[in-house]
Amino acid sequence: MSSSQAPDTMLPHLRVAVIAVALMLGITAGATVATGYAETLNLSSQKLTPTRTCVVTATPSSTTSVIDASVRQATSTTNYGTSTTNDVASSTSANRRLYIKFDLSGCVPTIAASATVRVATLRMYVSTLPAACRTLDIFRVGATWSESVITWTNQPFGTTINNPATSSRTDSFNVGTPAGCENLAVGYITGADVTTDVAAFVAGSATNNGWMIRDDTENSSTARTTTFSAKNLGTLAQAPQLTVTYVTVP
Amino acid sequence: MRRRPAYLAAVMRNLILLLALAAATGLTVGAAVSLAWSGGALGANVITIQRCTSTGPSVIQNLSGSTVASVTVSGLPSTCGGATIQATINNHTTTASGSNTVPAGGGSVTVTFATAPAASTAEQIDVVITGP
Repeated sequence: MSSSQAPDTMLPHLRVAVIAVALMLGITAGATVATGYAETLNLSSQKLTPTRTCVVTATPSSTTSVIDASVRQATSTTNYGTSTTNDVASSTSANRRLYIKFDLSGCVPTIAASATVRVATLRMYVSTLPAACRTLDIFRVGATWSESVITWTNQPFGTTINNPATSSRTDSFNVGTPAGCENLAVGYITGADVTTDVAAFVAGSATNNGWMIRDDTENSSTARTTTFSAKNLGTLAQAPQLTVTYVTVP
Repeated sequence: MRRRPAYLAAVMRNLILLLALAAATGLTVGAAVSLAWSGGALGANVITIQRCTSTGPSVIQNLSGSTVASVTVSGLPSTCGGATIQATINNHTTTASGSNTVPAGGGSVTVTFATAPAASTAEQIDVVITGP
């Protein structure tokens, strides 16, 4: 065998080795492509619109998840925290306001601070309507108050009539028996949107001290009174409610 | 027979060269035990799951005595018309579900629960609209 034959003899061995290594690399590369970098991903997608709603209800009447009380100018140092009704009234020197607060910590699972609140609605059952259509304003309360202590005199917003200014209200709704009024019959009111406030409570940018509701124009020469069912009425079908609809992924 | 060591040496040199090349290129990637997944795009396309509404519908409970018989979901736009709506209520003791179809023009729809759970201080109601 001459020396010129050596490469020919070597080639089969080399080919086998090269093929073996190439095969290893090929399998490795193939596995990488298959697991990490799919070229196409087939999804049979549909539109999905998920929301979650927490409904906080003042039931039973002994619950501490909801506190409510009205304050009365004519009996300025009397506490009405255990009353079965809450009034909002406009009447010279006899105005009445309603304070109410819902504890959102009762929502399970807890509404995450990062959640997006889509809709929050205050629902209260009106049992007596004024004969004139009245605008009632909802204000976010900026200080703590107690159901068993609050009176006209010590209320967070003070005793000044038509205070705070209407411009600072969260929302408003109309109530009264005349045709065309937003809420003209006994039942749960509509139109009390507190989304911005609840969003702030959830996000932690505002403290939840609840809301105060007063007549848009207090000191009416003709008494105009709206009566709401209170927590202490103990009637589930008329219990104050707060509904909060939110999503955890925007 | 005296040539074999020379051939073997040549083969070994080539093998070492190829293995070194392989180690420098693909083996590290290929031998991963786990695949870290940091989210984001997979492959060439990103698919966005669309919703029929970006605003939250209002959900109101309908009572039957002391139980929640159904919920009314309102504020649905026409873009949700024809979709299937499923509601599940959880009063932290039991759950109940029901479904219905959103009217063609949107608006509101009532979903009745198969079994009405007792009303409690705080209920959780999950609503999923599928389609249209």
